[in-house]
Amino acid sequence: MTWLGEFWRQVRFRLRGARFEQDLAEEMRLHVDLRAAEKEADGQDAAAAAAAARRQFGNATRLQEMSREAWGWRWLASLYQDLRYGIRALAANPGFTLTAVLSLALGIGANTAIFGIINAVMLRALPVEDPQALVQVRLGDGPDDELNTPIWEQVRDHQQAFSGTLAYATESFDLANGGESQPAQGLWVSGDFFGVLGVRPMMGRAFRSEDDRWGGGASGPVAVISYKFWKRHFAADADVLGKTVRLNRQPFVIIGVTPPWFMGLDVDRGYDVAIPIGCQPILHGGSGPPDEIHHWWLRILGRVAPGQTVQQADDHMRAIAPAILRATIAPDQSPQDQAEYLKSRFLLRPAGLGFSETRLRYRTALYALMASVGLVLLIACANIANLLLARAAARQRELSVRMAIGASRRRIVRQLMTESLLLAMLGAAGGFLFALWGGRVLVGLISTTSNPLEIGIAPDLRVFGFTIGAAILTALLFGLAPAIRGTRSGLNYGLKEGERGNLKGATRLHLGSALVAGQIALSLVLLVGAGLFLGTLRNLLTVDPGFSRHNILLVSASLPPATTVAERVRTYDEVLGRLRAIPGVASAASSVLTPISPAGWAQLTYPEGFTSKSPRDTLVFFNRVSSAYFETMETPLLMGRDFSEHDHGSATRVMIVNESTARRFFGSASPIGKTIGLDKPGKRDERELYQVIGVVKDTRYNRIDEEPRSIAYLACAQDTEPGPQIRYTVRTGGPVASLTAPLRTAISGVNRDASLEFIDFETQVNESLLQPRVVALLSSIFGSLALLLAVVGLYGVTAYMAARRKSEIGIRMALGAQQQSVIWLMLRGMAILLVLGISAGLAASLVLGRLITSLLYGVKPDAPAELAGAAVILSIAAAIAAYVPARRAARLDPMKALREE
Amino acid sequence: MAEIPRRDEIPPGTLYMLILKVLVRHGELHGYEIANSIQRISDDVLQVEEGSLYPALQRMLLKGWVTAEWGVTAGNRRARYYRPTAAGRKQLNAEMEQYQRVNGAIQKVLQTA
Repeated sequence: MTWLGEFWRQVRFRLRGARFEQDLAEEMRLHVDLRAAEKEADGQDAAAAAAAARRQFGNATRLQEMSREAWGWRWLASLYQDLRYGIRALAANPGFTLTAVLSLALGIGANTAIFGIINAVMLRALPVEDPQALVQVRLGDGPDDELNTPIWEQVRDHQQAFSGTLAYATESFDLANGGESQPAQGLWVSGDFFGVLGVRPMMGRAFRSEDDRWGGGASGPVAVISYKFWKRHFAADADVLGKTVRLNRQPFVIIGVTPPWFMGLDVDRGYDVAIPIGCQPILHGGSGPPDEIHHWWLRILGRVAPGQTVQQADDHMRAIAPAILRATIAPDQSPQDQAEYLKSRFLLRPAGLGFSETRLRYRTALYALMASVGLVLLIACANIANLLLARAAARQRELSVRMAIGASRRRIVRQLMTESLLLAMLGAAGGFLFALWGGRVLVGLISTTSNPLEIGIAPDLRVFGFTIGAAILTALLFGLAPAIRGTRSGLNYGLKEGERGNLKGATRLHLGSALVAGQIALSLVLLVGAGLFLGTLRNLLTVDPGFSRHNILLVSASLPPATTVAERVRTYDEVLGRLRAIPGVASAASSVLTPISPAGWAQLTYPEGFTSKSPRDTLVFFNRVSSAYFETMETPLLMGRDFSEHDHGSATRVMIVNESTARRFFGSASPIGKTIGLDKPGKRDERELYQVIGVVKDTRYNRIDEEPRSIAYLACAQDTEPGPQIRYTVRTGGPVASLTAPLRTAISGVNRDASLEFIDFETQVNESLLQPRVVALLSSIFGSLALLLAVVGLYGVTAYMAARRKSEIGIRMALGAQQQSVIWLMLRGMAILLVLGISAGLAASLVLGRLITSLLYGVKPDAPAELAGAAVILSIAAAIAAYVPARRAARLDPMKALREE
Repeated sequence: MAEIPRRDEIPPGTLYMLILKVLVRHGELHGYEIANSIQRISDDVLQVEEGSLYPALQRMLLKGWVTAEWGVTAGNRRARYYRPTAAGRKQLNAEMEQYQRVNGAIQKVLQTA
């Protein structure tokens, strides 16, 4: 408490103004005058009395200084002094200052930008009430965290474990009323979603439990929209409440708008419209929650009651788990599967950070990038430290003079550190601005049309603290060693040795050389990384996926869910016929899925004559395609025949398999004519038999970088229950964009209600390679930056050495040394540094490379070609950087050099 | 001429106590009067380096033991008058108590010799 009072008095005193010095001086003058008057009264003469009084008083200047110190002002005054001096010193050397501030701004900016994204998707808690109390309920520890509606209803109705529970799912809704689709980020939410999160709407009301009834609540289908959507779609209309928004053609009445800071629970996605889970049948058909037993789509969250621990909630959950599992068992499953299901366990996982696909997909990449920019900043620091070392050498005289007239070494180190800190802060300020821009660019890089990202990267306190911390750390890194070095030599050294003509002085460069070697090592690490990532991208772009990605336009068409099966079949066939007739279309086909998309369909199979060791052995991934699909995708048919018009609904059920499936189930025997059984949909222990009629080449299913897997194709024409959505694959001879208009006309000619989405297949494939592409791009940028910085550092040190050894070179040349031998003299030292740096860099690359194996495809982290390539590039750049100043030194006119003595 | 070595004879830390004591006794004094009081009361034995009063007074202002206000002397000159605060009185008592305790202890040691 006393320090608080002192502080307060100090502040108040200072606020009162700067009369301190005058007041003190007046007070002291009075004292001396009165004493002198007293002595004069005692009979001394005036001059002697005044002198005696002053003597008795003591050293007034020193006392005044001590009084000032009493208020703790010396520190402030000397800081002010240091700052002023530092600004003058930096301004006196604008070239150095600009170089240092710019490289720091780049380094700190890149670090801040990457950290900003890490912060947004991995560190920042959701902006909801007490986010730490939110946990996610998961079934088992697998990668999938979605549960079905029956489980949700059970958890909701038995929520003793929590003070509140909520469920939600994301889906892209179509705002258009037929025609080309207009996507909106949708949220399916439970009735008390907003209540449990503590999000109060900015306008209108949030959902209540009675809004979330199966088939629509008390007020019919209702929606809550986000602030952003309100601004964008309704132009911030104050009368938006009560208006309708059409989602997949169904009207929803808007009842509320959430505040700007609430962007949903997915931190990289944002949301536009939220609707109750109970509205599921309105959009997707289906009769009731029991049908939903195979629809795993909801994330379930609970809020741990105040005063309770997660452990207690977990215990509760474990106690009620058996009842929940018994109530949600799938009746059509085999007894083994049901027994397996009853053994599952509910797990609670913290959910306060929200969910993020970016977090899962880019975690390793972000860490690798963070490490890269950290290394770049280190290299930049080494450069500045080298510049400062050279400057400290040039300032040796100044520092010696200052020490000679009484400055303590600590005081000078502090002054030099203030200068460094000033540089770092200027760099950090620039870097912060750079990061504001860079962060947006980065998010733009990883955001695509099919997966639009909305990451709130507006800097918060943590990002700000990171920048400040980075600045202080860099100032220590690049400033401390040169400052201590510069003042170590003692005061006589600089004054005596500063003369020209001494041949020593290389001693001070040991540190500089070490810095250069370190820079070379770090640059090599970054170059190797860039090489590995570029190799990965090259492999991904050139790998044969089993299909052609060029000149294919994908059209996704959705019919209203109310259409009958007959209507669907007729529409799909008619559209396909019309598409094939369009001039410019080389071939066209329809399919349920398209390759290289996140969607998938896998099921167990019962191949003839194949005995499986475990059920997983017979798992096959499926697609349903029309005739000419393989021709359109340019996937070679290796054996047998394609689907044809003879494979209609009442004919024998047929199947085409890929090589992997054929090899796995039938070995070297021909698969043609063999039968494979599949479970009959919705029935237990009933199978439908399919006859294999063809074998196609292996293709990639979800991802370009996956291993070949077993895939089988069924015929569209034999689909007894076609869904409301179909995808057309259209191959053209030329650019695909020109086809969009005629395709749209053709499809709406058949069905005006179909909503359409067009995407170039090449774009879809490229977007799936976004992560390796971005990593390769950024690591190349950082690698080049590192190379540039290292080269500049090397050049600087060689040039500085050459300048220091000018007179030595002059003497050597006067004595008859050849230019080559002088150049070699200069390069020898650098060559040793280069070898040392490259060896250290290679060793570090081998160690660090193991950490990024998950990001590589087709290259090993110790690939000799990549390592050697990076070393060669670095060596060439370094040789040039050292050769230029060395040759300049060797061209010196010896007479001139010696005359300068 | 003998004043300067005397500076060390005021044990460190006791200067505050002496200043506070004369201030409590007189209520309100300026710097010169404080120096004179200490000297007079101690029969000229204790002589501070007079100037060192001033840094001490500043420290005491900061600690909140005294307050200062400008006034006018009998000779019609501006002077800063110091006045003890409640915290100052408390500090004086505490320091006196401690001083006497230490002093008593030292005396005991000296008497046993």
